[in-house]
Amino acid sequence: MSTLHTEEMTLNMGPQHPSTHGVLRFVVRADGEVMREAIPDVGYLHRSIEKIAEKVGYHGFMPYTDRVDYVCAMFTNQGWGMACEKLGGIEVPRRGEYCRVIAAEFNRIASHLLSVGAMAMDIGAVTPFTHAIREREMINDLIEELCGARLTFNYMRIGGVGWDLPPGWREKALKYLDHFDPILEEYNALISWNKIYVERLANVGVITPAEAINYNLVGPNLRACGIKWDIRKDIPYSVYPEFEFEVPVGNGQWGQLGDSMDRYVVRIREMAESSKILRQALEKIPPGAVLAKVVRNFRPPAGECQIRVESGRGDMGWYVVSDGTGYPWRVHVRTGSFAAMGIIQKLSAGLMIADLVTLIASLDVIAPEIDR
Amino acid sequence: MSALSEYVHNIKDTVSTIFEGMAVTASHFMRKPYTVQYPDRMPVRVQDTLPFRYRGILEVDLEICTGCLACERACPIDCIVIVADKDPQTRQLLLSQFDIDIAKCMYCGLCSEPCPTGSIHHTTEFEGADYSLESLIRRFVKDPVMAYKPKKGPETDSRIAPILNRGMTYLDQWAQPGGAKPAEEEPA
Amino acid sequence: MQTLIQNLIASGAFGKNPRWDLAAAITVLVMSAVVFLGVAFPFAGIVSWVERRVWARIQSRVGPNRVGPQGFLQWLADGVKNVCKEDIIPDEADARLFKLAPYLVMLAFILPWAVMPFSSSLILADLNVGILYMTAVTALTVVGLLMAGWASNDKWSLIGGIRSAAQIVSYEIPAGLSIFPVVLMTGTLSMQGIIRGQGWAPQHWFLFANPFTFVAANILYISALAEGNRTPFDLPEAESELVAGFATEYSGMRYLFFYMAEWGNLYIIGAIITTLFLGGWQFPHVTNSVVAMNVLQLITFNVKVLFLVFVSMWIRATLPRVRIDQLMTVCWKYFVPISFVNMIGTAVWVAIWPDGNAAMGYIMFAGMIAFGAVFIQRVIYYLRRSRMEVYFNPTI
Repeated sequence: MSTLHTEEMTLNMGPQHPSTHGVLRFVVRADGEVMREAIPDVGYLHRSIEKIAEKVGYHGFMPYTDRVDYVCAMFTNQGWGMACEKLGGIEVPRRGEYCRVIAAEFNRIASHLLSVGAMAMDIGAVTPFTHAIREREMINDLIEELCGARLTFNYMRIGGVGWDLPPGWREKALKYLDHFDPILEEYNALISWNKIYVERLANVGVITPAEAINYNLVGPNLRACGIKWDIRKDIPYSVYPEFEFEVPVGNGQWGQLGDSMDRYVVRIREMAESSKILRQALEKIPPGAVLAKVVRNFRPPAGECQIRVESGRGDMGWYVVSDGTGYPWRVHVRTGSFAAMGIIQKLSAGLMIADLVTLIASLDVIAPEIDR
Repeated sequence: MSALSEYVHNIKDTVSTIFEGMAVTASHFMRKPYTVQYPDRMPVRVQDTLPFRYRGILEVDLEICTGCLACERACPIDCIVIVADKDPQTRQLLLSQFDIDIAKCMYCGLCSEPCPTGSIHHTTEFEGADYSLESLIRRFVKDPVMAYKPKKGPETDSRIAPILNRGMTYLDQWAQPGGAKPAEEEPA
Repeated sequence: MQTLIQNLIASGAFGKNPRWDLAAAITVLVMSAVVFLGVAFPFAGIVSWVERRVWARIQSRVGPNRVGPQGFLQWLADGVKNVCKEDIIPDEADARLFKLAPYLVMLAFILPWAVMPFSSSLILADLNVGILYMTAVTALTVVGLLMAGWASNDKWSLIGGIRSAAQIVSYEIPAGLSIFPVVLMTGTLSMQGIIRGQGWAPQHWFLFANPFTFVAANILYISALAEGNRTPFDLPEAESELVAGFATEYSGMRYLFFYMAEWGNLYIIGAIITTLFLGGWQFPHVTNSVVAMNVLQLITFNVKVLFLVFVSMWIRATLPRVRIDQLMTVCWKYFVPISFVNMIGTAVWVAIWPDGNAAMGYIMFAGMIAFGAVFIQRVIYYLRRSRMEVYFNPTI
């Protein structure tokens, strides 16, 4: 019998899709269930935020940084604040730095909760998502008491933070951390070590360390390949050197090194590490001011600066060029999700369509961060 | 025989992890749901349960507005429009227009920070949905009023004093640049 | 059914000296209407509400509780909403097949109710080949789903339809093989015959008769879940990948037909397992009144079936879904060989102990109780660790 004539299908996993983590489009060339290639198509969420910075000025841009990555809003705030402080030569008081670290680590837990919850939901388990969101709601309640908003915080200012910790907040935060640690263990028992889940994630989307560095991956995606690179430890900023914490690295014990299970487990472990940092920070926070004195019409001297912050998605870079006026000349944000889009096309060869969803979820892609 | 042992191991793993997962979900079945059934099955109005710092819809207390235009300058979206001119007869600052477009507002709080008296502040109100875009421009000035002149000592006018008190308490919540002591008491 | 018709004629329900075939036809039609319209369809609707409430409690939230007392009328509201929706048929789709597919799937859901043994005399048709008829008829869903996938003229629907065809056809085999141990032990395929072969006490159920039937029961349950497109095997309608799989292009009531068939299938899965392994409607003989015994048996049957329906919902809330190649691996490499082992083991067992081994029943039942105790201990461990508030009330 002569060979059967087959064709490959071109499918469109369109901008409206229940599981592409935002507005992303993939053009999938598939041979039945097995994909040849998945070509990403980005740009549906472009809002010209970098250009807006040139219009609103240094102080006014802080709320816009929340919208660059609304899941990790504290880190974007911190990045912009640090960039302006470096340009203007402003020093943040110690209590301000501690407040920044506390808010940032709470945000990291919230961001990772959303990421692992959404990943579980994409794999098919609906319960872990709601449990993760419930925990995230409790963190949102805490931060709402701190700064008044639940998602786009606008908590930090140039020179420190906008609000000090309210009275009684430390106790509430410690109580939340006591509640969170057993919940994480329960979450793991429900989904992380579930055999079906492990089978879905192990050996899917393996990224070798060399590939990870070549494609510019950062954050948990990079650490899952075995490379121990965390800005908080390698290029320390703020008061992170004063805390003791580990940097979890993938070790390939469920499949190959650098597969989706490694990326997932690195995020779970990072949540536990953030909990540790938070306990130390809430213990050691010094009294004092939280905000340095910065003039209303902030005019840093002409120059450029580059800041790297370890956000929930990895090394977030802020590059600001100032020309001496009250409005920046150019702002550029480099985010981890943008780099991750590049590797999806290469990794998708040979995967099944169900695995494409797993791959996108494990790389923790957030669409607004790609397009800004 | 390693293939057979791996086979049996797979079956054992599957059964044991599914057993643990089902135990977790069974335990959740008996816990109180976390849902808050808004708005009809709540003991208190939601707006009263929100923290004091909550950044809801903006409101202006015109009795203590000094007409300094700091909020208009601070707003990154230009959603505040104030017209404050010097009245030629009385030589006082007269506020004739104070519009906040809450459709444009992004509730960032950058306007309430520089206010000297705390007259523009966020409330805990968040239900602003309405049928027309016009109603989302809140016009706070009905008839032109004179701007407030802050006194050197404590405020003596008994009508304005409580409003000023509330405004200053609101401002105390913000971080004080340069090392002033932060607020100690949670305001009522 | 014969006795029922004779009793009815004797009691004068059809007037004096009716024609036998006319009386029989009317009885069968009225009973079918009662079962299909009064039990099957409302059950499919109500179970959607129950599923949402059960899921919600497992997920730490409250399900629908506004429409009617505790949200009981939610399914009616959903039905009315779907009927009022615009009926969209894609332009290039094969309209005749597109419209026919939901009805075929519904047919596969409705036909098994004809042999459902509700109690010792409440069965529409006590066929000699009851269980074989049930297995054969539930396989009609394949035709319906393939038709839906193809006729939608949509590549995603096609993928969903093909996946479901592969899945259902594959899992027919372990399901069929797992019925054999029970048939070997009773020697009959009729539903009432299988139930009469068991006793009312748990140790006399076929589930605990010997370890082979225990494993066969589990394999049958999981294969039945796979045939019903329930998680962990709900790839054909994988919401996060294919939006709604084969049902993507459907809207309104046509869409709901697929899901009503799926929900109604839960009862059929429960009924098959109850009949074969859990003793069916068997209840100890406490009264001589036929009506009272029938009512008690009806309640017993429903309690067992509804418990299994609850377990299906619970599993769906807990487990993630498997990928298509893993699904095939599980079926062909794990279930089919184990089913063969079960069959041969039961054959040997029946050869050695033709009348059954009561001691094994007791031992296995005790083992099950121990397993249940370990499970409850784990549940209490999680309740204690989390320090969240415990709340046993099902309503809120």
